[in-house]
Amino acid sequence: MGRFCRTLVERVNNPALAEVKMAGAGEMDYEMKNPSEHLNVDILRKLVRSYLDLHQYNAALFWADKVVSLTNDNPKDVYWLAQCMFHLRQYHRAVHLIQSKDLDKTHPLCHYLTVRSLLAAGGYSDALQLLTIVENDNSLSRTTRVISLDSPGDGTMDPDCPANLQSSILFIKGQVLEAMDNRELAADCYRQALRSDVYCYEAFDALVQHHMLSSWEEMELLDSIPYSEQCKTPAEAKFLRQLYEIKLNKYQGPYQLAPRPLEIGTITSPNPTDQPFKAKWALDISQSPCDPQKQPTPQLLFDNPDNLVVKLLPTNLDVLVAKAERLFYNCKFQSSLKLTEEVLKKDPHHSNCLCVHIGCLVELKKSNQLFYLAHGLVDLHPEMAISWFAVGCYYYIIGKSDPARRYLTKATVLDRLFGPAWLAFGHSFAAENEHDQAMSAYFKASQLMKGCHLPLLYIGLECGLTNSVMLADKFFLQAQSIAPNDPFVMHELGVIAFQNQEYDRAEKHFEEALKLVRSIDDSVAEKWEPLLNNLGHVSRKRCKFAEALDYHQQALVLRPLNPSTFSAMGYAHAMMGNTLEAVDCFHKALGLRRDDTFSTTMLNNVIEQLIDDTKPFQGAPEKLPVFKGKKTPTSRVHRIISYDDQNPDDSSMNIDEEGDSAAPIMGETANDSELINVTAGSSASFEVEMQDTSSQVLDKTSP
Amino acid sequence: MSDLTFKFDLKQIKAEIQKAIIECSQRGLLHSTKWLAEMNMALKDVEIDPVDSIGQHSPYNIGEDDVDLYVLAKTYFDLKELDRCAFYTEKCTSPRIKFLHLYSRYLSGERKKLHDMTDTTLPPDPTQNTSLRELSAELRIEYKAGKLDAYCLYLYGVVLKRLELVREAQNVLVESIEKEPLHWGAWLELAALVSDKGKAPLATLPNHWMKHFFLAHTYLEQQLNDAALEVYYLLQQNGFEKSSYITAQTAIASHNRREVDSAIATFRSLHKEDPYRLDNLDVYSNLLYVKELRVELSQLAHHVCEVDKYRVETCCVIGNYYSLRSEHQKAVLYFQRALKLNPQYLSAWTLMGHEFMEMKNTNAAIQSYRQAIEVNRRDYRAWYGLGQTYEILKMPFYCLHYYKQAQQLRPNDSRMLIALGETYEKLDKCQEALKCYFKARSVGDIEGIALLKMAKLYDKLQESENASAAYIEYVTDNESNQAGDKSEVSQAYKYLANYYIKRNQHDEAYKYAHKCLDFEETREEGKALLKTVAQTRSQADREIISNISMSC
Repeated sequence: MGRFCRTLVERVNNPALAEVKMAGAGEMDYEMKNPSEHLNVDILRKLVRSYLDLHQYNAALFWADKVVSLTNDNPKDVYWLAQCMFHLRQYHRAVHLIQSKDLDKTHPLCHYLTVRSLLAAGGYSDALQLLTIVENDNSLSRTTRVISLDSPGDGTMDPDCPANLQSSILFIKGQVLEAMDNRELAADCYRQALRSDVYCYEAFDALVQHHMLSSWEEMELLDSIPYSEQCKTPAEAKFLRQLYEIKLNKYQGPYQLAPRPLEIGTITSPNPTDQPFKAKWALDISQSPCDPQKQPTPQLLFDNPDNLVVKLLPTNLDVLVAKAERLFYNCKFQSSLKLTEEVLKKDPHHSNCLCVHIGCLVELKKSNQLFYLAHGLVDLHPEMAISWFAVGCYYYIIGKSDPARRYLTKATVLDRLFGPAWLAFGHSFAAENEHDQAMSAYFKASQLMKGCHLPLLYIGLECGLTNSVMLADKFFLQAQSIAPNDPFVMHELGVIAFQNQEYDRAEKHFEEALKLVRSIDDSVAEKWEPLLNNLGHVSRKRCKFAEALDYHQQALVLRPLNPSTFSAMGYAHAMMGNTLEAVDCFHKALGLRRDDTFSTTMLNNVIEQLIDDTKPFQGAPEKLPVFKGKKTPTSRVHRIISYDDQNPDDSSMNIDEEGDSAAPIMGETANDSELINVTAGSSASFEVEMQDTSSQVLDKTSP
Repeated sequence: MSDLTFKFDLKQIKAEIQKAIIECSQRGLLHSTKWLAEMNMALKDVEIDPVDSIGQHSPYNIGEDDVDLYVLAKTYFDLKELDRCAFYTEKCTSPRIKFLHLYSRYLSGERKKLHDMTDTTLPPDPTQNTSLRELSAELRIEYKAGKLDAYCLYLYGVVLKRLELVREAQNVLVESIEKEPLHWGAWLELAALVSDKGKAPLATLPNHWMKHFFLAHTYLEQQLNDAALEVYYLLQQNGFEKSSYITAQTAIASHNRREVDSAIATFRSLHKEDPYRLDNLDVYSNLLYVKELRVELSQLAHHVCEVDKYRVETCCVIGNYYSLRSEHQKAVLYFQRALKLNPQYLSAWTLMGHEFMEMKNTNAAIQSYRQAIEVNRRDYRAWYGLGQTYEILKMPFYCLHYYKQAQQLRPNDSRMLIALGETYEKLDKCQEALKCYFKARSVGDIEGIALLKMAKLYDKLQESENASAAYIEYVTDNESNQAGDKSEVSQAYKYLANYYIKRNQHDEAYKYAHKCLDFEETREEGKALLKTVAQTRSQADREIISNISMSC
């Protein structure tokens, strides 16, 4: 402000200087004609810009209008006038102004502003038409180039440096196309915009935020951006790439991204190759999480000491948010929440961060915090979709689906491209087992977010729940094609294979998923407990009982006191013939969840079997001890039983076995055959309970 | 077990104890501090170097720590403003403050769970454990990084134990003990985890003098009462004779050995010496209950009520008192109060189960017994109680399983064996039943019914030889001590008389038939039997005479 005033004064004091700088023949004529009525148009122009800078648009409009009249429709002045109208949200007026002067197809800046105004006014088809006409007309594009070459640093022209005008036009074209639901072409335009100007973050953001590209395409884009041509120094190029990089690829394992050496231009990447990298990462894991510098984030990206972004902007909020988002996708909700809280403390309205923050709160079911946040947001930004999204999420986690849906719908109305709201909308149906409605919500989301696999994943999930297994499989495969390294997808594929009784395939998928999860972080997040349990189930199906138990044990470490894990362990024990352990496990399971029919039935079976399996007490003799009584009543022998009374501790009784061979021995043989029957019978009934008849298992248990 | 070396340097021990007292009290580990302080008191006469003396240390002398923060945190902790304490200590890494942070978070979580408890017959829902899980996840990361000191390891062990991750908890606690062998709390937690089979962690424990206390405690828990007593006697002989803790433990050992009188005597003297000590008084009240010493129990109940109404032991004593007066409702009320104070309090769960049994409320009884087992799997009374309830519910398989568990815990208790045998009999597994009765007889039949059961079973199996032998044994036993039930004895005589009549052994038959006359129930039958004997005898005589005359 101060600086600005000073320049204004300077110009006034040196009218000559200002005159020299002036361009446009008309004004020159005017001044030449009337030197006595000297009116410095340039001063008026400055005035317009100063008012624009001060956001006094009406004043700016007034003076800009006068300038236009004074200079006989100088295109630049018309542009400024139109800009004032644009700022005043008088879009149609701006369009009309430019079009009436016939500048919309000839003057590049005016052309841009027209399209922008049309877009803002909702005239998408007009905007697109205009764009295509101009595109086909080579003259204008030449002019654009001419301008960009001729006046590289012409500050008087406009704040929009013409160097990136072309990319801006491409970007706006993308926006128009996207608004017309032509996402494919829109993505193309954004990509072109980004290529013609590597700094065009908005195009990049549109691609990423609206999930337009699959992870593979994202990678391709990242590599195809011509950093080296447009950046001045290699360091800058690297910095830019890394800035983009941390925004990308959230569902991936970290090793995918960072170790890849930079392949662009002449930059010799100082990045080490894969191997030492992984070692370093592994070391970092053992560090304390308290130390922010060495935090064992699952992201190699952030641990990379060569990462300029992290080095130069360790406290930049965007970087922190990207980090939190990655933590979120890796199910580290606690640490993610800590980061987002930190960010929001510094910038309470950081919209990108808010989204992650809300996600964390939902995952951790912190309804009170979410309630407060949502209230604040709605009070301050009722026009933002995220505010209503927060309200909807709050109702979702307290289990009130109806209001949740209402508010989520409101969020989607405010911003049609707001994917999270659509997903949450679907979740609210899924939570009530309304599979069809949930699916349609997810479908809508998948249309909006072409490059996001989550809607597909959820659709597949719903299909699986409605027993259309084939369809589910299809959707999961589709999801996998978008995000090939997301362990969630692999897990779901495994579940479907399990439902199809393809246990080999299921095991493969589960193991792959586990490998990925482990590669993200050594300590598996609690969210992955079902994966471990499923691995246990599949191992049991394949008769690897010991492994199954091991997996279940690991699952218990992640989520202790889960009754179904105990049931599964009991089942595995029963299969292995460890009846006592099985009884224990089923008891525990029932202690945690009393109305579990499977455990109850199993317990009944197992406990009956146990009685046959085990001796009446520890150290019970195989044969019945012989009762040797002296039948002659005359004898005064007190101790007539043939074991030693003196030594009650001795559990193996001294039984006089070589005596009566006629002692009634019911025999172990009879017992054995009975036992077999019981085992076979009970395992058959297990199968009915679990609704799976695997003959393998039967064979195993009945010798 | 007796290969333990008892070479104590009491001076050194006392110095160690005093250091540990400071450490524990600085961390708010009150129970360990109390235990150590009592031990310290027991070694009152031992002189130590003044440098090591406890008087040299002020409670706030905590070395390099952030003293200001520590004092603040400790104050909040002492005032039970736990969340506040946790908040202020969140980012601190110095060991004491960090421990206070974690410990206050743990305690706060537990306290909230307790406050949220709605139904007193049920413990807090174990699946509502988010705070515990968070804590454990956090500790796991630090544990893997090797950043936990002995006390934090202890806390990690406790958290793991609460989450029923027994194996992990065991390992962590052993590590904690290795680092700080004087922390009695860690030993106690470990003792609760040592299963009967897996004695592996014991081998890795450091050979510290504290280990003896631990071993004795564990032996006692495992009902290895003799071994426990041996260690305690040795400890007493080696300088700890004044420890009230050891005295109480020996009393519990005698209680377990069913030496009721000596246990009562020990408790009585202990109570006289330290009248305001409430620890273990629940066991004392159990003893008084068993002996039906109404006056003593009443006096005790009033006394403890005066000392502290809201201690679990107090509630337990009063509960026992009401139970003895057959006011079971009131007894349950007091046990419930005890459990409200501490849901992990074992004896209240078991005793409440017994009360519910008395009130014929099997469902509630099962609940209580199950909870008791959840708290401590080694509580044979609860297992036995469960068996009894399932017997009432006519679910013999379950019943058998529970009796077996009880029997495993008390291999030499004939009551479990008899119960087992009876259940086997119900399942028509007579062989197993017989085995159980045999064993019951061999371990010293407390109730004196093993033989009778055996005889009846043989009778049922129509093995009259064995049956009669068992009956004979039974009646001869009875003649000497007159303990048996009158009707059972009379029935035994009747059976024997019949048996010998069949076998034409008139003298024996006559003898037993005559015995029948001693009893009200069988008098008439006895007379009839006598008549039969006389008849058959005369008939036999006649036959003999005729034979003789024939031969002549």
